[in-house]
Amino acid sequence: MAVTGPVTQPLRRRIGQTGFRPVWLAALAGLLCAGPLIAVAWLAITGTWTDYLGHIYQTRLAGYLWNTVIVGLVAACLSGVIGTGTAWLVTRHVFPGRTVFQWMLALPLAMPAYAAAYGWYDLTQAAGPLSMLPTVRGPLGAGLIFGLVFYPYVYLLAREAFAAQSADAYDAARTLGCSPFQAFTRTALPMVRPAVAAGLALVVMEALADYGTVSHLGASTLTVGVIRAWAGEGSTPDAARIAMVLVTITFLIFMGERALRRRARQTSASGHRRPFQRQRLAPLAGIAAALICAAPVLIGLVIPAARLGWRALSTPAATGLWQAAGHSILLAGLSGLMAAFVGLALAYAIRTKTLTGRASARIASMGYGVPGAVAALGVLIILGGFQGWLDGAWRAMTGSPFPLLLTGSVIALLFAYQARFIAAAIGPSESALSRVTPSLDAAARTLGARPLTLALRVHWPLVSSGVALAGLLVFVEVLKELPATMILRPFNMDTLAVTAHNFAADERLGQAALPAVLLVLVALPPMVWIARQITASERQRDAIAPSDAFPGLAE
Amino acid sequence: MRDERQTLPRIVIEGAEVRLQRGAGAAVLGTSLALHAGRVTALLGPSGAGKSTLLRAIAGLERLHTGTIRSDGTVWSGPGVHLPPEARRCGVVFQDFALFPHLNARQNVGFGLRHLPGEERKARIAEALRSVELTHRAHAYPHELSGGEQQRVALARALAPSPSVMLLDEPFSGLDRRLRADLSAMTLEVLRASGTAALIITHDAEDALASADEIALMEAGSIIQSGAPDALYLAPVSENAARMLGEVEVFEATVSGGKAETPLGAVPARQDEASAVKVLIRPEGIAVSPGGTPGTPAALTERRAAGPAVQFTAMLEDGRAVIARAPVSHRAQPGEQVSLQLDLTFVSVVAG
Repeated sequence: MAVTGPVTQPLRRRIGQTGFRPVWLAALAGLLCAGPLIAVAWLAITGTWTDYLGHIYQTRLAGYLWNTVIVGLVAACLSGVIGTGTAWLVTRHVFPGRTVFQWMLALPLAMPAYAAAYGWYDLTQAAGPLSMLPTVRGPLGAGLIFGLVFYPYVYLLAREAFAAQSADAYDAARTLGCSPFQAFTRTALPMVRPAVAAGLALVVMEALADYGTVSHLGASTLTVGVIRAWAGEGSTPDAARIAMVLVTITFLIFMGERALRRRARQTSASGHRRPFQRQRLAPLAGIAAALICAAPVLIGLVIPAARLGWRALSTPAATGLWQAAGHSILLAGLSGLMAAFVGLALAYAIRTKTLTGRASARIASMGYGVPGAVAALGVLIILGGFQGWLDGAWRAMTGSPFPLLLTGSVIALLFAYQARFIAAAIGPSESALSRVTPSLDAAARTLGARPLTLALRVHWPLVSSGVALAGLLVFVEVLKELPATMILRPFNMDTLAVTAHNFAADERLGQAALPAVLLVLVALPPMVWIARQITASERQRDAIAPSDAFPGLAE
Repeated sequence: MRDERQTLPRIVIEGAEVRLQRGAGAAVLGTSLALHAGRVTALLGPSGAGKSTLLRAIAGLERLHTGTIRSDGTVWSGPGVHLPPEARRCGVVFQDFALFPHLNARQNVGFGLRHLPGEERKARIAEALRSVELTHRAHAYPHELSGGEQQRVALARALAPSPSVMLLDEPFSGLDRRLRADLSAMTLEVLRASGTAALIITHDAEDALASADEIALMEAGSIIQSGAPDALYLAPVSENAARMLGEVEVFEATVSGGKAETPLGAVPARQDEASAVKVLIRPEGIAVSPGGTPGTPAALTERRAAGPAVQFTAMLEDGRAVIARAPVSHRAQPGEQVSLQLDLTFVSVVAG
């Protein structure tokens, strides 16, 4: 089927040349994403050594590592069970509300983990209405919270994998002597394992990158260590060294997941696929299934958000909230637009099939594995060095330091956000662009479309939904991002996330509630759209599959 | 039509009816068929005829609405009985092969052998892979295998548990033509060597004629004829049955004095006097001789040489064109006046 051979080859090359070939932009984006990590690594090696690190090593490092492991494990176990179980229910059964749960189960991604933590901590603490439950705190509590808000990664990917399975594999297992249960455990379950592993890698990575939740619940992970070294001790090189430990762990998880996937690629061998007949559940079982699907959404999103909403109503609002909300939306909106644009450019760069283009995209997509605190630290190092150089040059000319402060500016924030989240924008754009086949280009050109017409009349209609998805994904992520914002924000620029965290850190949960609830309210509508879009594969022609929407999974 | 056979059939299907969805029409309607051990039966029919559904019903993947499926005296499907697929010992090769993507070739083949102790299982896997000449690919995963190799793994996997019947659903449909010939030869060899009863679904008449011991023709949910390939080719029971296996000239006639009159001459008919019949003539049954010899005069309008045979189009005096086939050595050229004679071996008369 592929258009190959000596006759069509020159045609494709010629069209590629006239088309949009943003390889230079891709290279820049790759550099942007790799820069902070390289800066952190460089400083970790060359920075001055203090005895703080030795002190940490003797006192807190083991605790950081231990908490990191517990938090990661608990989050992985809980999200694995919830995500895989609900995915199996909605793909293989018919029960009341199934079509709504399909996308609703993804909504807890709109809930910042720290907001869920504030809500649940407030509910279960000694004076709270649910004080009969054990208080949600410590590494165990933090792990639970992460499991509850990040399980949609597992759910979405497992759901896609379950839906992609051919019923023939199940039937084959039956004819080879398996009972229905054995056929499920021996074929269906192993076949979704790579998807579940990919989801778990994202869950653990998000959990390890978190600062707000673990610092509030008293489960100091390595991220807390990085921020303490930087803010408490003022030692950027030591922060960089702890950050390297964190990054190493994250990358090991990703490498492991990738290796697992390479061993057994889970694509169906041939095109023909007989879809599963969904099993209609008996009324009682159907209600039970609906309750099981409702529970994670209630526990992860509705209950903590409702608690925060109630606290916000009964507490006088702090001043400056509207301004913070404006900052949040402005930063997230700008970042979303930029990422959508750069993500599309990177997708085009991948399409050119040049080494630079592909390598740049690959590097850019690794940025997602860099925790926000680390990215911010890297940006700080890079811009700090640049600032020093500018100051020197400016002083030589005018006798005073450079009038603009780069570190702690909107530019620094946008830099860090892009470095971390461009990855999230590549997948959707690439997936959308893959629908524009070379023969489609050729057809349009032979029908008289010039390059610009081609882009506007053929490419844009096909990719626009993917680009919008990319932009909104980044919008939601930036909205929720706390540690990078904390480290890099300009002195007088509070965002909702930072405001909420600062109040919570002062044990003023009542005041923290309103900004947290506002965050959820802003993040929810785009998340609903995203969730409907990426679970629409059966309904819509231009839907984008979750495995394309989440970074770290696209090749 | 059936030749004398002493062995009892391995699988007997009687009056099977399958409805895929409640309220929908029957996909399989009153089908009867017998499969014999050591024999390969080809199930031939147009798409939508219900071939796959019948196969799935035999494997226990679909329930029968009415009718029975028995194997060696045991009822597999019948009134109130539905033996689950895992208890039937059917080997199935699915159209898309349905290899388990998370298991390599060895593990796929060993999937149905869990009940065996380790050593025996290993031996059986090795034997199955050897029989399809894939020993060297034992550790490859499905996505690393070519289409033909995947088909062979699927065959080995289905055969490994020594099933009592093998069911193959268009096993060569996704493969290119040359590969198909090689694979089909190997598949038949392996199937015959295994001694099981085998049912192969195909929509390729040549394929069926060349490979099967027996052919069953299916149309609109029913088996309309079954028997040995030559018997089916020479003596079809209806026009549709005749067309499924190749080209045929059809003349409508009325029986008169034990004969049916066609433009190519009268042929004996055993049907009732004055009943409407159809006379079916295969192109091989029309001999082309030089003009002037006894027979039906006609004008040759086209000569097409295709491999070992040559195909003539001849215009009869009433303006009707017929197709005749002869060895490629036949010299007649377009434009010549010729005489056509009938070879009654290739002629059958069916009720119209």
